[in-house]
Amino acid sequence: MTEVSLLSLVKSYGGAPALRGISLNVGHGQFVSLLGPSGCGKSTTLRCIAGFEEVTDGRILFDGKDISRKLPEKRDIGMVFQSYALFPHLTVAQNLAFGLEMRKVPKAQIAERVAKTLDLVQLTPYAGRYPKALSGGQQQRVALGRALVIEPAILLLDEPLANLDAKLRDEMRGFIRDLQKRVGITTIYVTHDQNEAMTMSDLVVVMFDGDIAQAGTPEEIYNTPATEQVARFVGNANILDLPVAASGAGMAEVTLPGGAALSVPAPATPGARLGIMARPEQIALADAGQGHLQGRVTRRLFGGGYIDYEIATDCGVLAVQTPANVLAGEGAAVGLVLDPARLWPVARDAAA
Amino acid sequence: MRLAEALLALFRVLVYIFLLAPIAVVVLASFNAGNFLTFPPQGLSLRWFVTFLQNDVFMDAIVYSAVLAALATAVSLVIGTMAALYYVRHAGKEAETVRVLLLLPLILPEILTAIALLFFFYEIGIGLEHKIALFTGHVLMTLPFVFLNVTTSLQGRDEACELAARSLGASRMTAFRRITLPLIAPGLATGGVFAFIISFDTFGISFILKGTGSAPLPIQLYDYLRFNFTPEAAAVSTVSIVFTLVAVVAADRLFGRKA
Repeated sequence: MTEVSLLSLVKSYGGAPALRGISLNVGHGQFVSLLGPSGCGKSTTLRCIAGFEEVTDGRILFDGKDISRKLPEKRDIGMVFQSYALFPHLTVAQNLAFGLEMRKVPKAQIAERVAKTLDLVQLTPYAGRYPKALSGGQQQRVALGRALVIEPAILLLDEPLANLDAKLRDEMRGFIRDLQKRVGITTIYVTHDQNEAMTMSDLVVVMFDGDIAQAGTPEEIYNTPATEQVARFVGNANILDLPVAASGAGMAEVTLPGGAALSVPAPATPGARLGIMARPEQIALADAGQGHLQGRVTRRLFGGGYIDYEIATDCGVLAVQTPANVLAGEGAAVGLVLDPARLWPVARDAAA
Repeated sequence: MRLAEALLALFRVLVYIFLLAPIAVVVLASFNAGNFLTFPPQGLSLRWFVTFLQNDVFMDAIVYSAVLAALATAVSLVIGTMAALYYVRHAGKEAETVRVLLLLPLILPEILTAIALLFFFYEIGIGLEHKIALFTGHVLMTLPFVFLNVTTSLQGRDEACELAARSLGASRMTAFRRITLPLIAPGLATGGVFAFIISFDTFGISFILKGTGSAPLPIQLYDYLRFNFTPEAAAVSTVSIVFTLVAVVAADRLFGRKA
């Protein structure tokens, strides 16, 4: 197990920097996701750690040792590529053996370790097949096996599930997470899918525009996002722009259009305005006239186990998600109940 | 519909006749028993093949051409592969310029390339000494064929394969040898066969740049035909045709389906 530290990592291709000095610490055996839209620098970060990109400035440490100037083949990493990058002219077993051959492992040991890893990724019956004779999910597991068989210091995964269909993606998500726990390897996972990042990770690192916007547990990122941008990227978010009526002891009391007051944990001065985030499932529906806020249902989408509503209120159109047993038709007047314990103030975007 | 299909079939046959008839004539003429290069042949005989095999000038020329073609192909394979790797992986904005420059010997009339080389080598004081100009010309003529074929097999391949090999502990050179090379082998084989045949058959470059001393087969054949008109020339051509055919068929059998 290895600890990975990034110290003020800068990567520039001549124009605007792709990475603007990011720092991050990944603990022993942790599963960390780099999450962000395309072009945010998450893949560049991974390629810097792998050694495929030279860092412009800053350092990368594995267990305290600076490896930022080392060649990729000297870094002891296992990497899974989005395209899997299996060697098409080698069988599954030969693909797995490649890294061990490079490490000059004796032949008998290679056979043994390949067999063990094939078992781990459940591909033993396919050892003699060529990659093109395998399904997408099987190819994915070959790529995982090939990266793990060398027992690398860290495992890097670059959007490994992006090429799979939805059902297989869910399966592989669980498979990778279980495997990582079993092997106990420090893992860095790049994805643009917030669902993937949240379900699999110990730590989620949200990146925008070459910088880290927030790093935290999935719960922290979802429930207490640092900015409006993070709040919106990791899930559906209603942001209510409300005036502060009173404040004290780190709490602020905000007033809703109907006159109802709510207190949220934020330092603010009376008269200022606060952006308050409420997730769709944190808002409940009540009869008209009740609750904190009044509105009218403008859209109702039945989702099986839940119903998605769009409700026009004096605070703008809000998204609300309720269990499927709550029934309110389109056009119905409803009251909205906010959960004061889960409201969270977020810094508004400059553009908003 | 019937009529259209019949016309198409007829057209196909005519095209094949147009392409293959001259070759058939040469081959048949080489089995001529008479003293002159005539068609139809006057009686069947292998005597001109025997004459050819006993003719040191032609035998030397065949060996000379084969060695020249082999060396030119070897050098083209190395330079062409490096150029293809650069073009596909690293050229970026300059890619199109690189491609056009490399294909120039194919686009320009051969005679222009030959004359340009002639001027160049006299300008730098080497002239036609030591066959350097001739060899350079042959490499230039064969390079585009290696470049095109290797480029095609590289473009169908995932660059991540090389990176994956690096991440697994392979040096740049090992990754090339163990991963890239096997993947572009079909392109190398096809390009190599093309290069060899082009070098073996090319006339303009050899004619202008051959200098003194031994000359490649096409030049020797041309010289011979200026003063003689025996079926020996047809025998030489037939051997040359068989040679080329064997190379093409062998390459197709070995790599055809993969390329």
